[in-house]
Amino acid sequence: MDPIHQFAITPLFGEGTFAFTNSSLFMVLTVLTITLFLILATGRGALVPGRWQSLAELSYEFVANTVRQSAGNDGMRFFPLVFSLFMFVLVANLFGMIPYSFTVTSHIIVTFALAMLVITTVILYGFWKNGLHFLHLFVPSGIPVFLLPLVVAIEVISFLSRPISLSVRLFANMLAGHITLKVFAGFVVQLVAALGALGGVLAILPLGMAVALQGLEFLVAFLQAYVFTILTCIYLNDAIHPGH
Amino acid sequence: MEALGQYIGAGLATLGMGGAAIGVGNIFAQYLAGALRNPSAADGQFARLIFGFAVTEALGIFSLLVALLLLFAV
Amino acid sequence: MSDKDTQGRGGTPQDPSGGDFSERLRRLDTALKKAQADRTDGDEHSPRPSKSVEGMAQALRLASEFAAGVIVGGGIGWVFDWAFGLSPWGLIVFLLLGFVAGVLNILRSSGLMKKPGERE
Repeated sequence: MDPIHQFAITPLFGEGTFAFTNSSLFMVLTVLTITLFLILATGRGALVPGRWQSLAELSYEFVANTVRQSAGNDGMRFFPLVFSLFMFVLVANLFGMIPYSFTVTSHIIVTFALAMLVITTVILYGFWKNGLHFLHLFVPSGIPVFLLPLVVAIEVISFLSRPISLSVRLFANMLAGHITLKVFAGFVVQLVAALGALGGVLAILPLGMAVALQGLEFLVAFLQAYVFTILTCIYLNDAIHPGH
Repeated sequence: MEALGQYIGAGLATLGMGGAAIGVGNIFAQYLAGALRNPSAADGQFARLIFGFAVTEALGIFSLLVALLLLFAV
Repeated sequence: MSDKDTQGRGGTPQDPSGGDFSERLRRLDTALKKAQADRTDGDEHSPRPSKSVEGMAQALRLASEFAAGVIVGGGIGWVFDWAFGLSPWGLIVFLLLGFVAGVLNILRSSGLMKKPGERE
């Protein structure tokens, strides 16, 4: 009945900090699923793609178009990173939609680690490619000198807020969606338990709501993966072409 | 007892954010109404929409600031 | 066409123009139905996410961009106070700076909404 209970992390084997938990299990499952899917789907390499192969090609085209639109052709060198992130977040979100499973992306430490991966890549690549010129990202041109400290402080805060917004958005959406789903599903059981046959009739309402929310959650699962990808591309674009 | 007063005060201060929420909702509602009447002029007014949003939300941020000050700084 | 109708027959404009009108209405109706069917077909098979999905993605982005700016500003201010012992001032200054950064975030990401070549 407790809607928070589904997010509990329990060690499966091992103990303490290095235990293999259910979260780790689902991360491994996610990676295995993606790997198997891509290897099996593209293994034959037919000229006229079948169902699985066209699904794999569709996901490749989708991410490649997003990268080209947001980060230009130079951004394609980051395509492996962006594609891995997109597939990981998407498949982890979709795994969470299976009843009794565990949603990896509903834990802020996971999403924050993914966001820090992106931001660290941006900072390191930005300094490696542009040297100190990368710092021009924080100093817009054409600003009076006496306003400069204020503007630089605002730009730095704006830059630092990127990993926060990237991780909190994904985490909060998945958490809130699953809690809402669980609460509405809980209403069905509680109504039947409390009112018997009358409750069974009334329980149609929350059941319909739960079904509708399930559909909405599938949309959100895809949408959040898409948003994560497109923002990653936009941030990488800052590292590739700094100075607006 | 002093801590209790702090918490009550912080809770009261957050009520101001509800007012800001009403104001922000009003701004976007009016913008949408105007944009549906004259869609061709909507894009040109987007900067003013953000300006109005920023000014309104600033007052909400002040009440958030009072709440945070009561909780952490007093 | 309608000009000729009203000019030519002053006596009984109702009958012929009424028949013409219903005929034209019927033709328009079939054409509209065909066009609508074509359009929904095209929408369903388009590979990109539809317009409403993109709008929802945009809305989800904007709200959290703003909140993240305020949160980071407040966090920096709190750490600033804790490190230098400047009781309330760090929180006040950095929360307001964070608010400005949040508005800047919104402007950035909504400015990116319109592609440069899209209009003008």
